[in-house]
Amino acid sequence: MSTSTTTGVASKRAYVLAIAFILFFWQVAAWFLPSFLMPDVHVALGRLWQELGSIEFYAGLGNSMGRLGAGYGAALVAGVVLGLVGGTLSAVRSPLKAAIIILQSIPSIAWVPLFLILMGFGNMPIIVVVAVGAFFPTALSVMNATESVERVHIDAARVMGASRLQMLKRIYFPAVTPELITGAQLAFGNAWRALISAEMIVGFSAGLGKSLAYSGEIADMTGVMTNILVIAVLAAVIDQVLLERVKHRLLRYQYL
Amino acid sequence: MQLQFEKVTKSFGDLNVIEAFDNTIADGEIVALVGPSGCGKSTLLHMVAGLQQATGGSVRAAGQPVEKPAPERTLVFQEHALYPWMTLEENVALALEFQDQPAKEARAKARQWLSRVKLGGFEGYYPHQVSGGMRQRCALARAFIARPKVLLLDEPFGALDALTRMTLQSVLKELIEEERPTVVLVTHDVDEALYLADRVLVFSQRPARVLKEFTLGHIPKTHDLTAFADIRCEVLALLGIDTKDDPGTESPIPNKGVTA
Repeated sequence: MSTSTTTGVASKRAYVLAIAFILFFWQVAAWFLPSFLMPDVHVALGRLWQELGSIEFYAGLGNSMGRLGAGYGAALVAGVVLGLVGGTLSAVRSPLKAAIIILQSIPSIAWVPLFLILMGFGNMPIIVVVAVGAFFPTALSVMNATESVERVHIDAARVMGASRLQMLKRIYFPAVTPELITGAQLAFGNAWRALISAEMIVGFSAGLGKSLAYSGEIADMTGVMTNILVIAVLAAVIDQVLLERVKHRLLRYQYL
Repeated sequence: MQLQFEKVTKSFGDLNVIEAFDNTIADGEIVALVGPSGCGKSTLLHMVAGLQQATGGSVRAAGQPVEKPAPERTLVFQEHALYPWMTLEENVALALEFQDQPAKEARAKARQWLSRVKLGGFEGYYPHQVSGGMRQRCALARAFIARPKVLLLDEPFGALDALTRMTLQSVLKELIEEERPTVVLVTHDVDEALYLADRVLVFSQRPARVLKEFTLGHIPKTHDLTAFADIRCEVLALLGIDTKDDPGTESPIPNKGVTA
């Protein structure tokens, strides 16, 4: 469809513009502040280049991505299952939704002390915090979408003799996929914020958040800005490239 | 498959939709239900499909009370009943896959049925890529592929333009003649009822009661319905449409409680 390609180009142009704008303000701040408080953009980029050549950087990145994958993945699965169940069983729907809305208002990072004591110092509390952050928007979007699946789509499947499992797999799941993807993108934002902050607090083995916190502790501002840069770029790449691609793949029929 | 209605009553809270409906539809008979919108015809159809339960009385298919949907009693909806995330072929094959037929066989049969309704070449299209008429052809293929003994049609062509509707009526008639299911058709279109049905039941406004029954018999028919002009006028009059150009007499709008 021509409109989707034009909006694609327009959004790409918007991104280039936004990045230039952000880097410009950073550089302006660097001109006014002493370099030990705010490094020049090119200095941070130089450090980034150097980091990209070091094994430690990839070890930390790998740890962070592993935690993100485990927590975010678990949250997506649990969110879809609970969302579908909650959306189809009207008895549990309202209380479940209320519980999610209450729990959702708690910042994920607030769970860290609890999980840290419950699960001990290690990967687990970080993964669980990431999962908690990602679970609520996923479950809520799937539940809302399940409720509003068109009556005629359900009736038609019942008339054709669909079993309960077939109904979930072939009708409900694809019907809620558009909203699920929107929810999953929202959930990714939550998961990413939860990951970095939990890593900063817990500081267990290498990771993006720990690396950022450590740079701060030793007052290495170039390190701080480099880490922020990495965090920002990675989030944008995962959200705008990876998740968008998954979306176009799963919702192929909408783009024809 | 014979359908029996015994004192079928349906109400939603205080709202009486159907009151003591009695009728028997013979195996292979084609019956049209016409009446004002919102009179409960569709509810009656949904009860035969097993999607809704009667408040009182009983609906029986081949002597057995209808309790839940079954593929032998299939329903064609007005529109939007195809799944937008599936191609036409996948939509049609689904009817067999839900009956646990292997996907490959189901797909092959789906392609055959799509070509039977003249949709050959459109197997890979998604519903939103084809016209409303083509979507309803696909819906017919999906209904017939399961070889139903009872075919229920809920204003199947209501959303189509007049010309497409007549074409689809011919397609449907041909399929019915070849497959010979028992057919119950709910429609607003009197000509559609006369063209397709062996028997026409005219309903009153809510709560739905039969005002009059017209038996046409199972005879060959074309879209030229001049032979049925008298019946057509009478049905329309029952529905409150005056067909006699006589300003002196106004035909009264039928009220509940009038039965013939």
